[in-house]
Amino acid sequence: MNPSVKFILVTLSMLVIAFFFNPWTPLLFWLGIILLQLTMSHINWKLWLLFMLPFSIGAFGYLWTTVVFGAETGGTIIWSFAGIDVTEEQWARALSLAFRVMAFSTLSLLFAFTTDPVKFIMSLMQQMKLSPKLSYGVMVGYQFLPVMKDEFTQIQQAQRLRGAETKKYSWQRLLSMRRVLIPMLAGAVRKAERSAFAMEARGFTGEPRSAFYHPVQIDRTDWLMSGIFLILLLTSCIGGSWLS
Amino acid sequence: MLEEIFSLDGLSFRFPEDEDKTLTNISFSVHRGERLVLTGPSGCGKSTFLYLLNRLYPDNCDGLVDGKIILFGKTAEDYAPGEINHRIATVFQDPDSQFCMPTVEEELAFTLENLQTPFAQMEPRITAVLEETGLAHLRNTVIQSLSGGMKQRVATACALIMEPEVLLLDEPLSHLDPYTALQFVHWLEDLQQASNLTIVTVEHRLDCWGSFFEREIQLGYDGRIVADQTFIPRQPILFPERQSAAQPITLLLTQGLSVTMKDKQLLDPLEFSVSQGEVVAIAGPNGSGKSTLVKALCGIYKPKTGTIRADGIGYVPQSPEYLFLTQSVQQEVAFSGASSQSELNGLMASLRLEEVREAHPFAISHGQKRRVAIAAMLADKKPVLLMDEPTSGQDDDALLELFNLIDQRSREGTSFLIVTHDMEFAAGLADSVILIKDGHMTGKFPANEVWSNEKLLASHHLLAPKGVVRPAKSFA
Amino acid sequence: MLKSWKLKEVVLMSLFAVVFGIVYLLFVHAANIWAAVIGPLAYEWMFGIWFIVSIICMYIIRKPGAAFLSETMAATIEVLIGNAVGPRLILSGVIQGLGAEAVFALTGYKHFNILVLMLAGIGSAVFSFVYGYFVSGYAALDPSFVALMFTIRVLSGAIIAGIGGKYIGDALLATGSLRGYAIAHAKKGDVNA
Ligand SMILES: Nc1ncnc2c1ncn2[C@@H]1O[C@H](COP(=O)(O)OP(=O)(O)OP(=O)(O)O)[C@@H](O)[C@H]1O
Ligand SMILES: Nc1ncnc2c1ncn2[C@@H]1O[C@H](COP(=O)(O)OP(=O)(O)OP(=O)(O)O)[C@@H](O)[C@H]1O
Ligand SMILES: [Mg+2]
Ligand SMILES: [Mg+2]
Repeated sequence: MNPSVKFILVTLSMLVIAFFFNPWTPLLFWLGIILLQLTMSHINWKLWLLFMLPFSIGAFGYLWTTVVFGAETGGTIIWSFAGIDVTEEQWARALSLAFRVMAFSTLSLLFAFTTDPVKFIMSLMQQMKLSPKLSYGVMVGYQFLPVMKDEFTQIQQAQRLRGAETKKYSWQRLLSMRRVLIPMLAGAVRKAERSAFAMEARGFTGEPRSAFYHPVQIDRTDWLMSGIFLILLLTSCIGGSWLS
Repeated sequence: MLEEIFSLDGLSFRFPEDEDKTLTNISFSVHRGERLVLTGPSGCGKSTFLYLLNRLYPDNCDGLVDGKIILFGKTAEDYAPGEINHRIATVFQDPDSQFCMPTVEEELAFTLENLQTPFAQMEPRITAVLEETGLAHLRNTVIQSLSGGMKQRVATACALIMEPEVLLLDEPLSHLDPYTALQFVHWLEDLQQASNLTIVTVEHRLDCWGSFFEREIQLGYDGRIVADQTFIPRQPILFPERQSAAQPITLLLTQGLSVTMKDKQLLDPLEFSVSQGEVVAIAGPNGSGKSTLVKALCGIYKPKTGTIRADGIGYVPQSPEYLFLTQSVQQEVAFSGASSQSELNGLMASLRLEEVREAHPFAISHGQKRRVAIAAMLADKKPVLLMDEPTSGQDDDALLELFNLIDQRSREGTSFLIVTHDMEFAAGLADSVILIKDGHMTGKFPANEVWSNEKLLASHHLLAPKGVVRPAKSFA
Repeated sequence: MLKSWKLKEVVLMSLFAVVFGIVYLLFVHAANIWAAVIGPLAYEWMFGIWFIVSIICMYIIRKPGAAFLSETMAATIEVLIGNAVGPRLILSGVIQGLGAEAVFALTGYKHFNILVLMLAGIGSAVFSFVYGYFVSGYAALDPSFVALMFTIRVLSGAIIAGIGGKYIGDALLATGSLRGYAIAHAKKGDVNA
């Protein structure tokens, strides 16, 4: 599926869902996405669960802070605990927010797991007419990521080799981050300059190009998937409002 | 009459923050098909000059240009950024950051897209250039996982796929193993003859080029032309004779050491020992695992298996900036506190760091950074010292100074392991040689055994050092 | 707008985004765990780290759009490297960038002193908070709790992004690697730099 189309769909549904404060809409939507994921994609479920874990914890955090710190709403108290009265409306909102977090996370993971980063940028440039200057700028950043990660540990190790001691307290360690950060940023400045020079030396002018080696297209599946997606979104919005 | 490609008239250049001009009053012209080499001491402005020719400067540094630069009969200012680069291809000095796409194929495709090449021609041109440069097996490799020398070859392929009229090369051999370097020169020779390419090269090590060049322009420290003459082939510098200082005490012992990364075996299990005062050269083809070995020895890479026993190891990395912790060169060298003030002064003087004492370690030239790292490590007085390509980018004086320092320290009992592609330097210094190939250590050999063993040398992409064959010849 | 941008400035923003992306990820891991215990408050104090990219880039490059573009690129790269927050992040990047950009625009891109930088950090904080209020449904929370969140985020924007950004920018300038960028030219004899 075309990454740009997918990107628009995902962003759109997140914005729409944000208007609904009932628990059913995000829940329905969430279940729908999982269903889609089950039927239409090949995902490493073990990895998926691993990634979902922190979000579930986060959602739980949302749940109880909303209950405890929720705005006073009045209405029927459905249960109380340790002196906190929870009204029906509060509870519904808390659930709604928690489900919203789950739905958003699942959606995001769906995007992350099924999108090739390089193709995403290429598609942004080819379909969304993003300027090549920006697209390839981001591209360079992306391909330097593993290098930077290695550099991060290598700088630390090399400095330890010289007897730069690691600090005991975490705030001291935070301050000594500077020692690693500045060489990394200075390196980044130089890398940026040289990469930019290299691009220009390869004849890169920033003009839109006439032909692509890997053209990214929008085809029938894109329309089909968009349709399914929008129907799901619509159903959960209407269904959710109706149920509550 | 030959066609003029470049023509410079009274060219001067100054960086906006500097008081002094980097280049002063440069005038000459280059004709189509000429093979020109640009020489001069490190930091004299050679790279800067190339940047002016391919029009990266002055735009990208807001530098101030006086005089005229005419490229293909048109003033340089009249070209848009990147436009002239469709006809002039450049290979830069630094192998690590001249790519912007993940894989070799995509990088080549990027170049073709820039040239507005029609889709149908892209695929055949990529295949052709990969065949020609012997890189076909790397087509889908991620560029960032290649070794320094391999990256440099990919960069050359990217320059050639443009089918340029002019090729600018900035020290193109400094990261190549000796055999590949020789191949490179031959192959450039053929290419130049076939397409009447104009070649402008910056180079310190002229002896590797044989009689390739026809003209030499020398720059002086002050950025003026010192000489513009017919090129005369050079001999490599001769290092003084040296006595081995190895003692029968083992300082470093490794057993069963192996390194894997992302399930790829980079180093097969290997073992060797190094004795006190011994100088060991580590040599082998590009991408064989030399840098990997030293990184594993000093603990930057975690070995998969095996043990390393030593009482302290110092390390001068290929990119010296990793080491720097302080705000000035002086503090940097003194950091460990293991040397007395007079020792420090001696080190700074012999490594020519006096003039940059107060400068920030990041704000000096590349060769100087390397020497700061070396000075800091020598001042640290660790019993074993690892150096990854300490000779690259150094001029002749610096090489001799480095030679003397290592010689002196080894006599005081320090052991050295030196990764290098410079056979003359290795032959002058090393007591023994560790040969590595495809991540496998062939063995640790006494030095003179290696230099006379043609088969061993050839299988490790090495060449006999010029000048060391002498004793063998005198026996004959 | 892009015409006046040099390629090396665009690439610089992108690489800074990568560096801070790594730093940020380190912190997010810590915060995710905290979030279960103290709820969304855990994320508030470190928002500043995220705004810092736009502040540093603007401080160095000093061109209209530097804050907005860098923040957006940073978010995009974050998504590319598989941040699970996903595409939504790009939108928040856009909003945060606009916040900082607005402050710089108000000063006419002429002043880059500590005060302006802190204000820019606050600008990002305010914009992102308004956006978060809407998308994450802070409306459902108790007003005093929301006020607390807001205060922490603004402080984080001012201190971590504003002061921290200037500190890092100056430290980087001292290394001499910023020759050839606006910040290096401005330092010479410019009092209000
Ligand atoms: N962006 C810059 N701003 C100010 N000065 C610079 C800049 N780049 C280089 N220089 C200085 O200009 C001088 C010439 O640098 P250049 O890189 O051209 O030297 P080089 O002859 O190529 O040296 P090497 O042989 O070591 O590569 C050096 O003294 C360097 O410190
Ligand atoms: N991070 C990495 N991921 C995967 N492979 C790697 C990585 N780093 C290095 N390699 C591979 O390990 C091999 C050895 O690399 P190394 O840098 O040690 O070579 P080298 O002998 O120092 O070469 P050169 O002379 O060109 O510097 C190469 O084939 C390289 O592609
Ligand atoms: Mg140079
Ligand atoms: Mg190496």
